[in-house]
Amino acid sequence: MRNPLCFFASRFPGEGPAFLARHRACCLRCQAAAARERSLRRALPGLADEVLVAPPGLQSGVLCRLGEQDAADPRRPLVVRAAARYAAAAGLVLATGLAFAAGLARRQSRALG
Amino acid sequence: MTPGEVQRAEEEVLDRARNGDREAFGDLVERYQDTVYTLAVRLVGPDLAADVAQEALLRAWRALPRFRGEAAFGTWLHRITVNTAWTLRKRARRHAVQPLEGDFEDGGLRPERAGELAEMRAGLGRALCALTPGQRAVVVLRDVYGWSNAETARELGITEVTAKVRLHRARLRLRTLLEGSR
Repeated sequence: MRNPLCFFASRFPGEGPAFLARHRACCLRCQAAAARERSLRRALPGLADEVLVAPPGLQSGVLCRLGEQDAADPRRPLVVRAAARYAAAAGLVLATGLAFAAGLARRQSRALG
Repeated sequence: MTPGEVQRAEEEVLDRARNGDREAFGDLVERYQDTVYTLAVRLVGPDLAADVAQEALLRAWRALPRFRGEAAFGTWLHRITVNTAWTLRKRARRHAVQPLEGDFEDGGLRPERAGELAEMRAGLGRALCALTPGQRAVVVLRDVYGWSNAETARELGITEVTAKVRLHRARLRLRTLLEGSR
């Protein structure tokens, strides 16, 4: 069965708590896992050197569809979406708070009356 | 041409494109389409990559008058590509598990080393495609393209903590997938 310390050591990146660092220093399994992680992190940047050839129609497709330049912010959809997400979360929190407050008020009025 | 001359020539083309010269933008598209397409393949897989690349280049054209040259044009284009890919991530999710079958160009390697590398990269590519779109985007930007946590989080519209957590989970999953495929 897997040592729980090995499990936690793999879940906490970096040094983490001192007892995990001590465990890593003497556990061969964790050292092997760390070596695999290092090798993976060395291999991944190599993918950036590879360049795939774009499909032949890409350039002509783009040039055919060029409209007017309007200096629109290309990141706007993401910003709008993020704002909508925050607004929805804030609305949900507000609604929950209001429902909770209403429940409390009703309970108090029942207790008084 | 010296690197300085190349840069000046590109700046000139950029200036023309910024002022609405479609032919100049065509030159830029020709120069950058492969890197944009490659990034799109890494982020959303090969089926959707051409659409993402096309949309990103069109957005770049529309937004070009905003480009002030604070970052390199390639970096700016990459940011737009990431944003476009992320905007289309719902479609990307439908194509989430797709083996990479593109033709990788590998210049000047000895055949035995090239074969080894190609095999390793293909394995990595397959493992990347098996990640969730969110994990894949973070690992591609951080570990493949070397972006910082802050940049990655900003471009994906997530917090830095979320980016770090996703990256950690993605690396764990990648390791598991690669060990499983051996």
